[in-house]
Amino acid sequence: MDLTGEFEARSYGGGATREATRLESLHLGDEFRQLALPPENAGGFTALLELPPTQAVNLLRFTDSPSSSSQAAAVTGIAPPPPHSYGTLTFPSNSVLMDRAARFSTEHHQNGNVSGTSSVPSNSSVKTEPAETDSSQAVNNRSGKRKDSDKKAKSWTKKNKSSEENENLPYVHVRARRGQATDSHSLAERARREKINARMKLLQELVPGCDKIQGTALVLDEIINHVQSLQRQVEMLSIRLASVNPRIDFNLDTILASENGSLMDGSFNGTAMQVVWPHQVTETEQSYHHRQLQQPQQWPFDGLNQRAWGKEEDQDHGQ
Amino acid sequence: MQPTSSMNEQFLKNWQMGLQIFRPSIDNTSVSERKRAIKLSADVAMASLRKGTTCWSRALIQKAATEDSFLVRQMLAGIKEETLINRKLPKIVCHRKIVRRSKKILMRRKSSSAMEEVTAKAKKLVKRKTKGLRNVVPGGEFMSNNVLLIQETLDYIVSLQTQVNVMRSIVDAAEAGVER
Repeated sequence: MDLTGEFEARSYGGGATREATRLESLHLGDEFRQLALPPENAGGFTALLELPPTQAVNLLRFTDSPSSSSQAAAVTGIAPPPPHSYGTLTFPSNSVLMDRAARFSTEHHQNGNVSGTSSVPSNSSVKTEPAETDSSQAVNNRSGKRKDSDKKAKSWTKKNKSSEENENLPYVHVRARRGQATDSHSLAERARREKINARMKLLQELVPGCDKIQGTALVLDEIINHVQSLQRQVEMLSIRLASVNPRIDFNLDTILASENGSLMDGSFNGTAMQVVWPHQVTETEQSYHHRQLQQPQQWPFDGLNQRAWGKEEDQDHGQ
Repeated sequence: MQPTSSMNEQFLKNWQMGLQIFRPSIDNTSVSERKRAIKLSADVAMASLRKGTTCWSRALIQKAATEDSFLVRQMLAGIKEETLINRKLPKIVCHRKIVRRSKKILMRRKSSSAMEEVTAKAKKLVKRKTKGLRNVVPGGEFMSNNVLLIQETLDYIVSLQTQVNVMRSIVDAAEAGVER
């Protein structure tokens, strides 16, 4: 999948740091970044960029992002990659800088109104990082984009593909490529499409046999089939379990719970277990008893041990 | 991501807890009764892995609650009711015939090039497939955008995988035990 924009972290450690990251994305060399970093240059820096002070204040107001620490980490994560991509870049002239700053200031104005809401969704999304990225990216890609069709953007995006997955950022910069529409609607749409494509890729990796397929519709077909087959498997398994001796399916769990022990059975490892439970698969107490009557146990099982179920220590004990 | 062993353990614990609730009424002798109990507790156990953070888990819990609310309440003792409420998408009731006719008129008005027709058909196909996906994933109708849908599908598939793994291992063990 080709990224149509770059993704960057913007840190909110302070005004100057922010300027620093912004300048990073402007493809400046290391020396300039060092110039920008010391905080006492903040006032002079805004003057340099000719940002109206009100907008700078707006930017400063939204520095209290919940994930600023992770952003700082993300920034430091990003800081290493840039040097090797443009170590030979020369310092751009001030006029270019002003131009970019002027364009950037308009975006920041929109950012100011929007970023306040972005921190809220990212706060409330409890579950996963993708969820946070969604709400934040949706909001910020609409407004926080650099409208620069620099050719250098392409190498930048490819080198920073990993930064796409910096999940806890309320702001993500996306750079438009040459010949692409740059109004906010199409940018937002493009961001949405990016997100969907990224998720679809994850799905393709998850569902077996989907990597070879081209085209969204067929992949979706496969996904639907996979989900349905999993649901049918659950159905069949519950029927099988119910048709087994009724004493077992309810008793086994009570026995497992009461004795607080776990059994390993190596013979299960290869056969039916599809994926996980790496070394261990639990065996019920009942089948354990049955086995014990007939074969010498492979593992000395200490039934009275208060071991947590399924932990790897058992493996060590057993083997 | 693939299901982790901690997820497996958690699922089994929750499932056991759910099955224990059925234990006193173990004389529900018919297979279908037991199957229903097993499946229900397995589903609620799977949904409780996510504890209301995902849309599909909430929808699944709601569905289970319509069948056996006591079980649900017991299994999810620590969770507030409000996290389980799903905001329903406003369903626009539309007559399909009218919609189809108006779409046809629109298509006629447009002077469509070959490229446009192809992309339009592809888009239609994708739309149909996403609708199918919404039908399969629990709570799909409540997901307002495609991004959310795909995210939920991802999570749902992983959880389904853990459920299948755990259940399969238990069933194999039980059946192996019975054979002896």
